[in-house]
Amino acid sequence: MAQDAIDKSVDTFPKFLLVNAKIRGDRPAIREKDLGIWQTWTWAQVKEEVKALALGLKELGVERGDKVAIIGSNKPRLYWSMAATQSIGGIPVPVYQDAVADEMSYVLQHAGAKIAIVENQEQVDKVLSISEQLPSITHLVYDEPRGLRDYDHTRLKWINEVQDIGRKAMETKYPGDAWEKMIAEGKGSDIAVILYTSGTTGKPKGVMLTYDSVVISSQNANSFDNLTEKEEVIAYLPMAWVGDHIFSYAQSYVAGYTVNCPESPETIIEDRREIGTSYAFAPPRVYENLLTLTMVRMEDAGRVKHAMFHYFLKHARKWGEKILNKEPVPLGARLLYWLGEILVYGPMKNRYGFTRVRVAYTAGEAIGPEIFRYYRSLGVNLKQLYGQTEASVYITAQPDGEIYADTVGKPSPDVEIKIEDNGEVLFRSPGVFAGYYKEPEKTAEAKTPDGWVKSGDAGFFDPKTGHLKIIDRAKDVGRLNDGTLFAPKYIENKLKFYPNIKEAVAFGDKRDYVTVMLNIDLVSVGSWAERNNVIYGSYQELAAHPRVYQMLSEHVDEVNKSLSEEGPMAGAQIKRFLILHKELDADDGELTRTQKVRRGFIADRYAPLAKGLYDGSKEVDITTDLTFEDGRKGTISARVKIEDTKTYAPAAPMDKAA
Amino acid sequence: MRAPDDTTIKAGQTLLSVENVSLSFGGVKAIRGVSFDIKKGEIRAIIGPNGAGKTSMLNVINGFYHPQEGQITFKGVKRKKMRPNDAANGGIARTFQNVALFRSMTTLDNIMAGRTLKMHSNFFWQLWRYGPAEREEIEHRHKVEEIIDFLEIEHIRRVPVGRLPYGLQKRVELGRALAMEPELLLLDEPMAGMNLEEKEDMCRYIIDVNNHFGTTIALIEHDMGVVMDLANRVIVLDYGQKIADGTPDEVKANKAVIDAYLGVAH
Repeated sequence: MAQDAIDKSVDTFPKFLLVNAKIRGDRPAIREKDLGIWQTWTWAQVKEEVKALALGLKELGVERGDKVAIIGSNKPRLYWSMAATQSIGGIPVPVYQDAVADEMSYVLQHAGAKIAIVENQEQVDKVLSISEQLPSITHLVYDEPRGLRDYDHTRLKWINEVQDIGRKAMETKYPGDAWEKMIAEGKGSDIAVILYTSGTTGKPKGVMLTYDSVVISSQNANSFDNLTEKEEVIAYLPMAWVGDHIFSYAQSYVAGYTVNCPESPETIIEDRREIGTSYAFAPPRVYENLLTLTMVRMEDAGRVKHAMFHYFLKHARKWGEKILNKEPVPLGARLLYWLGEILVYGPMKNRYGFTRVRVAYTAGEAIGPEIFRYYRSLGVNLKQLYGQTEASVYITAQPDGEIYADTVGKPSPDVEIKIEDNGEVLFRSPGVFAGYYKEPEKTAEAKTPDGWVKSGDAGFFDPKTGHLKIIDRAKDVGRLNDGTLFAPKYIENKLKFYPNIKEAVAFGDKRDYVTVMLNIDLVSVGSWAERNNVIYGSYQELAAHPRVYQMLSEHVDEVNKSLSEEGPMAGAQIKRFLILHKELDADDGELTRTQKVRRGFIADRYAPLAKGLYDGSKEVDITTDLTFEDGRKGTISARVKIEDTKTYAPAAPMDKAA
Repeated sequence: MRAPDDTTIKAGQTLLSVENVSLSFGGVKAIRGVSFDIKKGEIRAIIGPNGAGKTSMLNVINGFYHPQEGQITFKGVKRKKMRPNDAANGGIARTFQNVALFRSMTTLDNIMAGRTLKMHSNFFWQLWRYGPAEREEIEHRHKVEEIIDFLEIEHIRRVPVGRLPYGLQKRVELGRALAMEPELLLLDEPMAGMNLEEKEDMCRYIIDVNNHFGTTIALIEHDMGVVMDLANRVIVLDYGQKIADGTPDEVKANKAVIDAYLGVAH
């Protein structure tokens, strides 16, 4: 799979840097918008900058195997710090810059960082505030000198000073090709980087990745999407996140493409537009925000523009994806689409900075099918992938022409996948991590001796497409009494993609069948009610309205139909549902502060309803305590209807995919 | 009248001194015989209850009001009457209590407007934006971009200021004042009407301006907590008279100040 003519001896990023400086020295390697102007460094210039920095760090005492923490937003000098550290045998440890001092202290202590290279005063202050707990840190290097003039500079150094030290050392201590020799000492099996997983539960773990893992994953990814040195990417996701490390550093060094650093976190949309990225990566919320922004702006647009926008959007929805997938499309539709491209799609893509985009990925969580299709219908080749830090990102990805809103794709090149009996996804690939730093027990828990890694996610191969679908965290997946797999989040997400449904809570673990409690979306259902002359006085009244029940019943029915076509999920169709008489609210403890439903708590709080769902009753009376927004307490009583729904026989027999 | 261009005043020396100044509007005595000095490089605060004469004092300093009595010495030059543009030429810039920006112009243009006094190419060249005018504009734009970077307002560079939230407008106004590269910066209630976070940000910028550019700052502020943290020295005015002058700690302990703020039983 590797790219043609890649020399096997080029197995670390500093070596790739030397190669790039030699064969494409004049091509742009990295840009940063500074004082309103894009500043560019070529590969040859980057090599010189990295060299000076590397020798400067060496003079500050970085030895082979030492850890160098890198803390800050995406800036050229921080990316250079990574290469510089690696070139002298050190191991970069990027740290989330928005971590509070305590979290940062844990990571820096655990990694035993010797030097911290940070972006600005904010980060310097943070590290200094915990410096007592960090005896291993000998120097603190900063990129942005502002506000730091009067600080005690015995252990504090400006990055330019460090480079000056390096340049001086170049003339005296390390003349000629001394640095290149240091680079040659590095080998593929060395640890390239330690990335701390943000750790939603428990302490963060330091994932060690070798050069071989990262390099091979990057090569595979580049050839999978035919990425060349001509790509432009924008680096704006946290440097400590494996995605950014691979997209904005590793793949760039391997393919030789250009990385662009935005002016500030607030200017990304504008900066992306100026650059016109050709390869993009973003979590779903970025695409969601762009779409919402568009829709809000279009509401304010004039009548003609408004009509034109919606007319062509409708056309795109019908034909856009087919054109993108190179399916046969009638000439008339093609011509109209071409007109739409000039009048609507083109300008839209320009706004988003997607004019030149060849491949765009979304990953991290489920993306709404509507949002996904919107971009694809405009002609943006948006695809999904599934990855983890422990895999150097790539586990599965969607190949061109095989795009589905609800799958994460086929195994990436060189990746093997198997599904355990409990639904957990296991993978094995050259990109698999070497272990958790200083935590062999945890490594043994996650990784079998023959190299299979437990992803912690449950999934299955879709019999129709042969693609992997991720359904839930493995530990949340339960079973019905008849042994059918029950993935609550998967069912809830399917329901929540309907705009009328704001929240859904699925029950079924150790039960005979699946039931759900629903929350209607007051904005969406409210506007429907207005249009259909449905009169209501309160949320509770609207939620109990027979026509609302009928509408949601149709949604549930559609979900059941789609579940029936999905192999292992077919047994977990929704038998009964109800619409809750109040909105689930974090103030009442029903949702977490990040808006995730707390199923156990909800089952207890609405115990009579939960019971009613399984004892066949048609109506249940309930009284619930609630907290108003101003903090007052009250109660709310209601008679809640429970409806039965139709279930479908499983469609296609389950395919043994992969 | 122009102040001498070669400023020989070093940090810590007196930059501006006000001697025995009195100002009245008809029968209303706004300021009565106030004297104080501002030293180069310091942050000097003027505080006092409502109607104490703080803004009047600031207006006297930048030549907007002319005191009936007393003398003002700026950079060693004594003067009695001075027009605001002389003050601007001499290196005094200010911001206003109620934001005074060009609302339909962008942030960039507003700050660029602060450079007007520094433009020297004549109208003809400017009309065509050619030759010296073009060179000059690039130079000034660079300076303006440095200020935009300094105040972290890159994201609103091209947004008309009328559309910005209040806190950001205040920051743009500070940017425009900084564009003059002033020696003395007068801030009239820079934190009025801001929420806590905006206040903290503004404090940071004021300290940074003082630190980074070495600009001497005189500010009027209501929020005592802010003043005490920010200022090197504080003057307290009440009913147009100076009732205290000293470091924040001294002023805090001053009996007259406590009475003025909390009121006394007469």
